[in-house]
Amino acid sequence: MAIPILYPLTLGAFLFGVGLYGALTKTNAIRILMSVELMLNAVNINLVTFSRYITPNNYRGQILTVFVMTVAAAEAAVGLAIILVLGRNRNVVDIDKITLLKG
Amino acid sequence: MNPQVLLFLVLAAITAVSAVRVVTTELITHAALFLALAFVAVAGIFLQLQADFLAAAQVLIYAGAITTMIIFAIMLSDIHEIKPSDQEDPFPVRFRRRWASRQWGFFPVLLALLFAGGMFWLYRGTGFALSTEAVSGSTTVQLGLQLFNEYALPFELASILLLVAMIGAIILTAKEVR
Repeated sequence: MAIPILYPLTLGAFLFGVGLYGALTKTNAIRILMSVELMLNAVNINLVTFSRYITPNNYRGQILTVFVMTVAAAEAAVGLAIILVLGRNRNVVDIDKITLLKG
Repeated sequence: MNPQVLLFLVLAAITAVSAVRVVTTELITHAALFLALAFVAVAGIFLQLQADFLAAAQVLIYAGAITTMIIFAIMLSDIHEIKPSDQEDPFPVRFRRRWASRQWGFFPVLLALLFAGGMFWLYRGTGFALSTEAVSGSTTVQLGLQLFNEYALPFELASILLLVAMIGAIILTAKEVR
């Protein structure tokens, strides 16, 4: 392989860092969901990299990536549905203003 | 420089810049479009890592389905709070003024670079058991065989999960019919 293994791994770490920053500091629920998707993508890059470099003819890492994609799609569907209902019922998308469960 | 490495660096730069823009850009619609760009660039990286099936799945599922869903949610929710002002960083104003430019957000880049640097340092000290084998042809056949033999049960569980998520999303968003 021409590309050193450290390159994609570092890219994955960078993407995860950006996604983590977004998920922790943003208050817009849709943007938090986007940041979570970024983090999942960073994990996928790492999985595919390890699959390619360490076990090139045994596709376990890629199969795990397929399942991560499935769960990401399910999570996005339910998360966006919840955000839509919140927006319809209470007209908010700002998670700082969703304090229904606060005593 | 090796053209393969150069192509990887270009794709990585596109991914990194659009990821940062997802977090820092002011309009949420632009963030969704930058997210799609990041996903497509990651699909290119998958192609470079010889994961052709996953590259196609990445474009279909992430860049196609999830981005469309997010954009639909943004348009349908019709929430008037999606404005530049909702992107305030929870850092002290003085600190923010000095370190974070308005559009490009120096601070998230700095944090992510610190994180990536730490991980790079960790990875460099790790002796990975690298294999020199070449990938034999397309991965799709092998992936399908393994998925339906060795991983048949997780595969079926994943389909149930998707079904449950679909029904849940429909029930959550459906208007009550009496």
